[in-house]
Amino acid sequence: MTNKAGKIIVNIVLLLLGIVTVYPFVWMVFSSFKENQEIMALEQSLLPQHFITENYINMNSRFDFLHFFTNSLFVAVTITVLVVYTSTICGYVLSKYRFRGRNLLFGFVLSTMMIPWCVTIIPRYSLIQTFGWMDSYKALIIPVMFSGFGIFNMRQNISAVPDEILEAARIDGANEFYIFHRIIFPMARNGIASIAIFQFLWAWEDYLWPYLVINTQEKQLLSVGLKMFSGQYSTDYGALFAATAISILPVLLIYLFFQKQFIAGIAASAVKG
Amino acid sequence: MKKKLVAAIMATAMVATMLTGCSSSGEQSTSKADVPTEPFGDTIKYDPSVEINNGEDISVELWEWGSDELFQQVIDGYTAIHPNVSIKLVNNPWEDYWTKLPLALDGENGPALFNVHNSYHENMINYMAPLDIPLEDLEADFTGVAAHVIDDKVYYIDYGMMTGSVYYNKEMWKEAGLTDDDIPKTWDEMREVAKKLTIKDGDKLIQAGLNFNDSFHQNYLLGLNYQLGETLFEEDGKTPKLNSDAMKQTMQMLIDMYKVDGVGSENFGEKDSDSFGQGQSAMVIQWGHYYNTLKTTWSNIDFGVFEIPTFDGNPYAYNRYNGESTFGVNKNAPEDQQAVAQDFVKYFLANDEAQIAFNLAMSTFPAKKSLADNEEILANPSLSVLSEHIDRYIWPGPMPSTMETSLKTAGQEIFFNGVDIDKALDDAQANAIRDMQSSTFVSVENLYEHAE
Repeated sequence: MTNKAGKIIVNIVLLLLGIVTVYPFVWMVFSSFKENQEIMALEQSLLPQHFITENYINMNSRFDFLHFFTNSLFVAVTITVLVVYTSTICGYVLSKYRFRGRNLLFGFVLSTMMIPWCVTIIPRYSLIQTFGWMDSYKALIIPVMFSGFGIFNMRQNISAVPDEILEAARIDGANEFYIFHRIIFPMARNGIASIAIFQFLWAWEDYLWPYLVINTQEKQLLSVGLKMFSGQYSTDYGALFAATAISILPVLLIYLFFQKQFIAGIAASAVKG
Repeated sequence: MKKKLVAAIMATAMVATMLTGCSSSGEQSTSKADVPTEPFGDTIKYDPSVEINNGEDISVELWEWGSDELFQQVIDGYTAIHPNVSIKLVNNPWEDYWTKLPLALDGENGPALFNVHNSYHENMINYMAPLDIPLEDLEADFTGVAAHVIDDKVYYIDYGMMTGSVYYNKEMWKEAGLTDDDIPKTWDEMREVAKKLTIKDGDKLIQAGLNFNDSFHQNYLLGLNYQLGETLFEEDGKTPKLNSDAMKQTMQMLIDMYKVDGVGSENFGEKDSDSFGQGQSAMVIQWGHYYNTLKTTWSNIDFGVFEIPTFDGNPYAYNRYNGESTFGVNKNAPEDQQAVAQDFVKYFLANDEAQIAFNLAMSTFPAKKSLADNEEILANPSLSVLSEHIDRYIWPGPMPSTMETSLKTAGQEIFFNGVDIDKALDDAQANAIRDMQSSTFVSVENLYEHAE
């Protein structure tokens, strides 16, 4: 009985927290169908009093949404694929290979996670300028090809794969390339899913770095485009909400498809040592 | 199955929106400008027959924030004269522009031209090349040039002047039985009008006659001191005077408006600009940009504008103004690009159409003297109310932000915590002095045309 009551209380608390978390998003979506004066009106209502779709229809008159969207998609997918691959291969090496300095190397990888990213912005900017990569996607993709968090996560994840499986594969004549791609990769899919979701999300919402290194409007990313709605003196909230509502759909889709693996992957990396 | 359905719906929504959005993307057009062949301009003349870069192709970048169309119009006009020049417009969000621009200007590949705001003067000035236009020509055509002279050189000037005016709700005005004859000229009259516009239900405020919440420091305290003959800085141009008698008198008037007259309240309408748009307050004092905000965000409000009242009808100056600046030329850009940039600035200054378009877009009064009585400018009520006394407005220079924030804190201490005026302003003064210790700012109030 006490257990049941406890469960109900926990569920009620979780429900309330869920509502608090989701409400701003729901409010934003409904507000994207309102006029600015209704969004800023004194009397607020969740549902639009005067339903309009102009914020969506006129989206491209304010900025090239389609271009920004496809650019963001390309950059985020490329970064995600590269990070997943490099994290898995590094995680595999650090987890299953025994060599001198392995722990030191892993410590070094971990230490990269401790440095606040803003500290590295200016040196990174100078490097990119020296390499002549300004205004190109190389500046967005190459510096983040390796992720400390991804390597750490995949090392923990791959540790759970029994060594016996790998030894059996070697006895059967499988080479290292085969073992990594045909055994480790499928067996680490939960970890890969969680890294993929995290990385896609970070790449998708990254604002400052793309803004700093990309100048050409046609190459710019959606996160930067969204910021253009905030002017010096005022903000076009309706259009901003409409563009934001559409821009988060890819992230939701990815989460929806990889939800199960994502949760399993996070849980696995948290408990395996 | 459910997941697939939701995903399919979301994907369809995404694609549909993108495709709908696509339909309008092609509408962005480049305006076909008439190509002038004769020199134009007042003292600063632009001669379209003079080739730029020896007629050889060249490409430069112009970085800005704000309206692409506005800048593109000027670029189109210029490139129509010089088809060998290509100017790439790079739009930026206002806030982060000031992070990105110095980084870019520090290198070799920064933009040759960039939009300037004088509030970032100290960060930008070391990257700027002086304008290649004689000082006397600039002074002949534009007001306020002297305030921008550094060692006999000018790096940018103002194309427009923005200041505060009173915005009033015409409907509320009429309902209160007021007519155009009741437009107040003095603060005493303003207080009486505000009382008439105030609606209460018992002690509960229903409609504020005047609201200055969140802007009292910018729109009253840093400006009305001039009406009382008091500058914001001592003669050294560096020491602020935030606890002057004029400041105390203005602060006392604001307190009396709320606490004695009861025309508003610090707890009624968090932001005066929003409160006016929400139909909660009958009058606010706002700067020129508010005209555009009302036209776009609060288009349902029928509003009028009148000039800021004075204490005695004969002020030393009516108010403070701030300039909207012309473009900066990057001194680190290659020489050929700098030459194009200099030429472009000259074209912009000589071109009346561009000057009018920029001033109307920002609701600033033209700094170009010949446009002071321009019909298009005077058709904008937020500008026409300034025209009679525009020479009676002062620019103190690009003041450090502590001048505003210190006064804002002082006002909040007075209104919300009941701190004594003298103490609050003394604290503001001490705070501003401390914050400005390392600033290179020097006031240019002494350059005011009617300075005593």
